[in-house]
Amino acid sequence: MTNVATGTETAGIQIISEDDVVRVEDLRLSFYTNLGVVRALNGVSFNIPRGKVLGVVGESGCGKSQTGLSIMQLTPGRIEGGRILFREFNTSEAIDITKLEKNGPEMRKIRGNHISMIFQEPMTSLNPCYTVGNQIEEAILLHQTQDKAEARRRAVDILRKVGMPNPERIADSYPHQLSGGMRQRAMIAMALSCNPTLLIADEPTTALDVTTEAQILDLMRDLQHEIGTSIMFITHNMGVVAQMCDEVAVMYLGRIIERAAVDDIFYDPKHPYTISLLRSIPRLGIARGQKLESIKGTVPDPYSTVPGCPFHPRCPAAIPGLCDTVMPDEIFVAGSRTHTVRCHLYT
Amino acid sequence: MATAAGELPKVARGKKQEDVGQIPQWKLMVRRFSQSKLSVGALVVLAIMYTFMIFSDFIAPYPHDVLDSNNSFAPPTQIVWGPDGPGIYGLKQELDMERFQWIYTPDTSVIYPIRFFVQGHEYYFLGLFPSRLHLFGVDAPPDSNARVFLWGADKEGRDLFSRVLKGSQVSLTLGFFGVFLFVVIGSIVGTASGYFGGALDNLIQRLIELIRSFPDLPLYMALAAALPLNVPITVRYFLITVIIAVIGWTGLAREVRGKVLAFRSADYTAAAIAAGASHWHIITHHLLPNAMSHIVVVGMLAIPGAIGLETALSFLGLGILPPAVSWGILLRDAQTVQAVVTYPWLLIPVLLLLVTVLSFNLLGDGVRDAVDPYA
Amino acid sequence: MLNFIARRLVNMFFLLIVVSFVGFWIIQLPPGSILDVQIQRLRMQGGNLPESMIQALRDRYGVDDPFYVQYWKWISRSLQGDFGTSFETDQKVAERIYNRLGISFGLSLTALLFTWLVAIPIGVYSATHRYTWPDYLITFVQFLGLSIPGFLLALILLIMASRLWDQPIGGLFSPQYADAPWSLAKLWDFIRHVWIAIVVLAIGATAGLTRVMRANLLDVLNMQYIQTARAKGLKESTVIWKHAVRNAIHPLVMSLGTLLPALVVGETLIAIILSLPTIGPLYLDALRSQDMYLAGTILVMLSALLLVGNLIADLLLAWVDPRVRLE
Repeated sequence: MTNVATGTETAGIQIISEDDVVRVEDLRLSFYTNLGVVRALNGVSFNIPRGKVLGVVGESGCGKSQTGLSIMQLTPGRIEGGRILFREFNTSEAIDITKLEKNGPEMRKIRGNHISMIFQEPMTSLNPCYTVGNQIEEAILLHQTQDKAEARRRAVDILRKVGMPNPERIADSYPHQLSGGMRQRAMIAMALSCNPTLLIADEPTTALDVTTEAQILDLMRDLQHEIGTSIMFITHNMGVVAQMCDEVAVMYLGRIIERAAVDDIFYDPKHPYTISLLRSIPRLGIARGQKLESIKGTVPDPYSTVPGCPFHPRCPAAIPGLCDTVMPDEIFVAGSRTHTVRCHLYT
Repeated sequence: MATAAGELPKVARGKKQEDVGQIPQWKLMVRRFSQSKLSVGALVVLAIMYTFMIFSDFIAPYPHDVLDSNNSFAPPTQIVWGPDGPGIYGLKQELDMERFQWIYTPDTSVIYPIRFFVQGHEYYFLGLFPSRLHLFGVDAPPDSNARVFLWGADKEGRDLFSRVLKGSQVSLTLGFFGVFLFVVIGSIVGTASGYFGGALDNLIQRLIELIRSFPDLPLYMALAAALPLNVPITVRYFLITVIIAVIGWTGLAREVRGKVLAFRSADYTAAAIAAGASHWHIITHHLLPNAMSHIVVVGMLAIPGAIGLETALSFLGLGILPPAVSWGILLRDAQTVQAVVTYPWLLIPVLLLLVTVLSFNLLGDGVRDAVDPYA
Repeated sequence: MLNFIARRLVNMFFLLIVVSFVGFWIIQLPPGSILDVQIQRLRMQGGNLPESMIQALRDRYGVDDPFYVQYWKWISRSLQGDFGTSFETDQKVAERIYNRLGISFGLSLTALLFTWLVAIPIGVYSATHRYTWPDYLITFVQFLGLSIPGFLLALILLIMASRLWDQPIGGLFSPQYADAPWSLAKLWDFIRHVWIAIVVLAIGATAGLTRVMRANLLDVLNMQYIQTARAKGLKESTVIWKHAVRNAIHPLVMSLGTLLPALVVGETLIAIILSLPTIGPLYLDALRSQDMYLAGTILVMLSALLLVGNLIADLLLAWVDPRVRLE
């Protein structure tokens, strides 16, 4: 397990650790709609270690997808603060992505090349008008080579690598001729075609059936070991987290409320929200007839701001007078240098 | 959090949905509709125009068909302020021998006052009640040649203002009724076709295919040309309405059929069938209400086209025929550059047509956005 | 694919037979014929017309034949390229039609091209700059373009052009070029005569298509594959033009089939105002004078044009969208 908060115990680390590929600091993101302002991210900080898989979990609307899109600068919202430091393979200098022009040449050089992304809906994430091969070649031609034959060869290669039977034929197929699982493999092939430093996977298996999901997860795990890519794995499925991730960040309402190694999250969760989240997973071996726990209440209206800890209205352990007024700081759990939590219960 | 880009509208909807489910659907629609300022404006404009149309005989100072050679192409009358309020001068008619057109000079010695709520020519209000009351008229002796032409006069010296008002009775209603008729036909045929399927569906689809194999305007023209010429105006009006409907229903019927097919295989319809509901019940309770918003929108958006169609047919001499008046007939006077440059007021009916069609387009657009308040 | 085209062609053939039958039936519906008018005229000119001569005329034009005989005569001759002799002018129908159809077709194709060249970029701009003032302006102009009667626009342009420079009014050519062989000067003269017709024809269609293009592109831009394309690092212009527009263009392609005949006839009013010798005014005259062979032939020709247009649109659609191709 890598050292999470390298070098310091306090917030506001300036240098990116040798071991990290991405360091997000105090990221703030807002949406300006004609109905009001939505503060989607309220100071998100985390890092993704080299060659590791970070799981980002949380309910719908907690900001996990927007965090991923912010790193790509593809969010429709406005980044209002914070830094996103990124360092590609074999370089020592980190660049702050938030400083780059949104669709400028530097940003586009990173997208698809050093950082790539796969999305939740394999059925709609490939353009129906072009062949799968064409769409993979497009990225290779953009970033790697000018030679069309070479790009084609690489595209077929990567399709073979993601376990496609008869990759030449697949390359000439249109997306609607492939099943959902096949399409997601094609998406993974496209994402990995330029050997990215970081892969952002936004719920890549949510839309797939269980057996296909397992295959895709195995595939991603294997390729991650082979290529050494770091993965930011966005999901709401704790089972997938257990299978895929090295570390986990739990998000709630635009903040990371707990961050730990995967074992610590499952066996020693601290934040009441994490605890509830884990309890709400149906599990084999639990006595029949026992009621599955659910988290009471729903996520508050995105236009309003909750004073104090954002989870306090739904928290079973909320301390009146404290949790509903003061926002808890992110602190290390006693006795650990990797496990942080944002909760008054542990101060 | 579903798709990345889909998120923003979803957040925005979060707020909108607060009133969904708390107030009746029609109120929701009204609320959505009134958010579109342009559509509300269009509705107001149309309301004014239709009010004028209903009271057209009362507002029009002169009959639409009385010839007056003393006022051929008389320009819009200048209104002056006399001792008894607004009034006008009499006109002197002279022939410009060089350009061979009439020249009118006002005789400023006498001001003939404009009076309100005067007695004039007889008409039937709404075609039912005889009346002689008019909104305004000029108090002048018959030999003074002082007539008030708000929008000028045409070649025969007929008051354009009165003619436009009279014409609106045809132009503003014919397209409307035509669309209403085709919406009814289209809904019934489309529903039957989609619901019962089989041979009936096949037959209807072939029929639609046949009708749609003809280009629209030539077919309208051919059918209109086939209408008998020597029938009363009301009969011809009705026949043209029918022509608009007979061709227009096909598109709607296809769309309704598609909707019905989709709703038919929906679970709630299956549940109704399983519960032993009758065909009639299923159609009126499960299929039509769902397709209704779509039908209304298609109808709304078809009205401007139908109005334009009637005008075009009348313009071409295939629609409403003189001595009856519609805007299309008025436009025939404005078809040469020469006429329009010399007598620009002849373009007024075109402008009104433009305003009407524009308003209906904007209204239809607003309605389309409003009928689906849950989106 | 070939199978698909063959089936469509066969279907089209049968449809055209039915269309010609129904079309001819509608055209001959009104009682009387142009012959009555002509006999009237001959009587006025030459006093008493012998009954035998009238009968000869009636036989020649087949006026007294039952409908199906008339139809059979007309359609069997049509298939041999002989569309009969027009009642009114004694000219061959084919001659009259071909002259004008060529002009109408040329004007409409140019207008169609113009429509596409304008509608696509403006629609794309409008969609990618949503809720900015140029978008609002474009939307407003669209509604205006949809609502403005073509002949009003034609009149306005004609007046403006004749005031600003010496816009020739009426016809296709100036007198000195009418019989001259084609040259650059003649082409320029021709363009000066017809540009208003093309602009007016194109404007209504452009307004409609721009609106459709905008709405579609907005839908497509919300699609996941657009985000995928951006995530690859493609330039925004490539994302829009290569990935989005191609998916948004379906309705434009599909409109091709209906747009072409609509434009060919849509110019009737405009042609009257601009006195252009196109097919629309000819058709109108034929209808009004109950010249049933001429009117029937034009109606069926336009229907054929519509069906061919639809077929071309379907083929184009298959070319643009692989999903259609493989069905």
